[in-house]
Amino acid sequence: MATTTERARPRIASHAFLMLLLVAFLAPVAWALVSAFKPANEIIRNPLSFDPTTFTLDNYIAMFQDVPIGQGFTNTAIVLLFKGAITMFFAPLAAFAFAKYQWAGKNLVFGAVLVTLMLPTIVLIIPLLLEMKELGWVNTYQALILPGAVDAFAIFWMRQVISAVPDELLDAARVDGCGEFAIFWRVIVPVIRPGLAGLAVLTVMNIYNDFVWPVVAANSERMSTLQVVLSTLAQNITGNRIGADYATVTGELLAASSVALVPLLVLFILLQRHFINGILAGSVKG
Amino acid sequence: MQRHLLRRRAVLASAGLAAAAPALAACGPDITAGDDSGESSVLKAPTADKPEGEITIWDRSGDLFEVFEGVIADFNAAYPGITVNHVAVDIDAKLQNTLITGTEVPDGVFLDDAKIGGFADYLWDLSEVLAPYSADIAPQKLEVNTIDGGVYGVPFDLDPGLLFYNATALEAAGIDAEAIATYDDLLQAARDYQAAVPGSGPIHLEQSAFLGQLQLEMYASQLGTSIADADGELRLDTPEFERILTFLDTVRQEGLGTRAEYLTPTDIAELENGNQVFYPWAIWFSFAPQQLLTETSGDWRAMELPAWDASGPRSGAMGGSSFVLPKQGANADLAWLFYEFLMFNEAGYTAVWGPNEVYPEGLTTSIPSYLPAADPSAPLFEPIAALGGQDLWAVATEAGAQIPGGAPTPAWWAGAVDYLGNDLQRMLDGDLTPQEVLAKSADDIQTNLVDRQ
Amino acid sequence: MTATAARTGAARPRRGIGGPRMRRRLAPYLFVLPFVAVFLAFSVYPLYFTARLSFTDWRGTGAATWVGWDNYTYLLTNPSFWGSLGNSAVLWLLIVPVQMALGVLVAVLLNSAKLKLRGLYRVAFIVPFVTPLVAVAQIWVVLFDQRYGAVNALLGAFGAPEVGWLTTSAWAKPTLALLFLWKTTGFIVIILLSGLQSINGSIYEAADLDGASKFRQLWSITVPLLRRTIGFAVVLQTLAVFQMFAEPFVVTQGGPYNSTTTAGYYLYNHITRADLGTGAANSFLLVVLVMALSLLFVRLLRAKD
Repeated sequence: MATTTERARPRIASHAFLMLLLVAFLAPVAWALVSAFKPANEIIRNPLSFDPTTFTLDNYIAMFQDVPIGQGFTNTAIVLLFKGAITMFFAPLAAFAFAKYQWAGKNLVFGAVLVTLMLPTIVLIIPLLLEMKELGWVNTYQALILPGAVDAFAIFWMRQVISAVPDELLDAARVDGCGEFAIFWRVIVPVIRPGLAGLAVLTVMNIYNDFVWPVVAANSERMSTLQVVLSTLAQNITGNRIGADYATVTGELLAASSVALVPLLVLFILLQRHFINGILAGSVKG
Repeated sequence: MQRHLLRRRAVLASAGLAAAAPALAACGPDITAGDDSGESSVLKAPTADKPEGEITIWDRSGDLFEVFEGVIADFNAAYPGITVNHVAVDIDAKLQNTLITGTEVPDGVFLDDAKIGGFADYLWDLSEVLAPYSADIAPQKLEVNTIDGGVYGVPFDLDPGLLFYNATALEAAGIDAEAIATYDDLLQAARDYQAAVPGSGPIHLEQSAFLGQLQLEMYASQLGTSIADADGELRLDTPEFERILTFLDTVRQEGLGTRAEYLTPTDIAELENGNQVFYPWAIWFSFAPQQLLTETSGDWRAMELPAWDASGPRSGAMGGSSFVLPKQGANADLAWLFYEFLMFNEAGYTAVWGPNEVYPEGLTTSIPSYLPAADPSAPLFEPIAALGGQDLWAVATEAGAQIPGGAPTPAWWAGAVDYLGNDLQRMLDGDLTPQEVLAKSADDIQTNLVDRQ
Repeated sequence: MTATAARTGAARPRRGIGGPRMRRRLAPYLFVLPFVAVFLAFSVYPLYFTARLSFTDWRGTGAATWVGWDNYTYLLTNPSFWGSLGNSAVLWLLIVPVQMALGVLVAVLLNSAKLKLRGLYRVAFIVPFVTPLVAVAQIWVVLFDQRYGAVNALLGAFGAPEVGWLTTSAWAKPTLALLFLWKTTGFIVIILLSGLQSINGSIYEAADLDGASKFRQLWSITVPLLRRTIGFAVVLQTLAVFQMFAEPFVVTQGGPYNSTTTAGYYLYNHITRADLGTGAANSFLLVVLVMALSLLFVRLLRAKD
């Protein structure tokens, strides 16, 4: 109907707009990735200079010597594995109970989900810490894994997703003699698999970047997650700069941040189709 | 619609549950248990001939960590039986939590002097082990570590305030910086410089609330006072503080200052382009000409601070750190041996401040607080090329020797930044007068900090 | 399949109280049990402890003294406490409306079937979401430096005056809000995209035929149909803004002049001063506020239904 030029104009405008946003969203990260290769003092002195001939690996070398980033990766991986698995399994299971069953106390328990969603982490820091002390869990993996496992947002979200699964599918499975758990495992899980993929990526990102609780709960180097290692470096910069060497540390921090960022970025680029399509396909229709 | 209604009811139900909690019988973590107040908290040195064991030492990451790391081998030559587990830790974020939980508490921790008071309840009183040395420790440094008669930190560095100045730029403007003897002289030199270099703001005015307050304490220390006395009583609304603030306010009113946060890009650029030529700061500023100010490196010099009154003291302390030994640490007595070696043994302090792998010229950002180590004629670090080959050691140790005592640090010092630090910045904005700053901060600090201890 | 379903419909009521029915009644309780256990252990129990702590002057060591409502009256009569809530409220105003407008616009553009480079845009918008916060803080300090930062350099090219982004209380909040927008808008876009997905494309075809402009379609068709998703995003971000702690912690430390001392950061200040009793009282007040706000939004959404 419309001529090509009429069609092209809005498309150019939307690309211009999106490109502008894209630059704004990527530039800061690009700055960090590039600056990690600049001599430490140059980052502070001329944050915006760009001279590939002066590029150096010094920041990376110093960072690897200074902080146990390998240990950080290992710990993050362990926490990710267990905490991620707990959320990925139990959150959809609980969501299933909310979405597809009528039971006494449902509203009360769902209220608990909402309350969890509303509790700021910082509110619980001190009491949780004392609880860890009582349990003898300070500097253990369970302290990093269990609080906040079975993520409330995951339940909330999966409940919406599972609500969209037609009841007929469940009834059919019951007729075929499926037990209630088997319905979850054999009917719900396959149907919501795209949504689960989205949840998986989100869960990984949240756990990987979790910052406040691990910094408090893991006070031994042995238990430091990646974000704790970063905060060890950042203290000289983000706090009150009375250390004389914060240029050096800035370099190391950017190197460490790059190292921390890249795996997640690669993971996301590889899985972005699943993640986004997953969230989109979350709202299944029959 | 139905669902929203239900959800709201559910939230209310749970909120009701939480609200009822305080009414429940007392159970849960015990916060009423007394501490070991019956036991002595005075540390005793180990008596064994060949002490053995493992100690965990926390340090900030960065250059000092590397320096201390290098000293461990020297320490082990003297004490082969003690294994040092040296860790870089985000101390601000972790120390308090670790002390509250009492789990895996380190034996020794590197801590800002301003923060020691807040932790005294958890720390060993070191007055007995330090007794043989205390006569030889800078008085200011002992005072900041003393709370209610106990000494809670092994004094590490002394950080005398110095006047850093761009000698080349000042000379070009025909100003003799070395003739500056009082703050009035400094103001006059700044006026003269501004006349020669229009548009310049010769004197640094700190824009970070925390560092601004720290610098204020440097000026106060020079006058033998601080924001609280040894009993923790506030003494802010005094002629001394009014004098300091009036000086800073004069710099602002006459447009003689460059307002910037310490060594942010703006600050660096103004130092490099000759707009900012006077930097009254602790000795740790010396790092800037050595590493950051590549264009004006070699142009900078350091001298004693100007005096408030002719022939008054020419320096005050700004910042600094000490080593604290938590009572819950398993081997605090062995950690004491480590710090004793580092600070009071010649092999130790020479290794800390002398040329090493990290700093070929030595650690030039502070001087020892142990006076036998801080001998002006026996430098531990070498003359600095970035300061035109100046012997910073001699300048700093002579300045350090003039720092008056009488300036303890209260436990709530860092918290005062929200009031005094901020109000000082408001004055530099032109929104408060010096008198208003003092009256308002004193009032706020009394209500929010002193009264709530 | 249809045959089986029909058979069940008839058969089920007659099976009575057999095993499967019992299992079906019990199942949901078992399914939520892990969540409930974690909730009781790591939310209710600490909250209960916080409640008790809030009536004491405990400083982390030694014995605690019961001080009654002292901590609460101190906070409720303290301008700094109200100031911290005010800061969070202003941040909410700076963040949520902008984010929703931007989010809907971007989501609609990305949802267009003919858009090229869609994958690239999606990845780009989510990158900030995965960047470690402590690195972001350093990036922000450098980019928003008053005299030599990239942002002022860019604005200066258009003749804008120098802005003290991080050094003046007027601009620090917008700068922090910008960080929050930068970091979380990608996620909101995806949530909104999921809402768009469920809108039937034929509505737009009809609108096209009626000659409605794209903007008109956005406002009259898309936004109303997305209302539930937008509402969900608003509630989510409201919670996030009022819980905000890490962002001011790493970028501004609450300054300048406490202008970025959010409700969460103010609470943290008590903890760093070992004033744990006051901190606990503050925690409770914050929890009550966040719940009240959530209820308010739920109510507003309900009113619109």
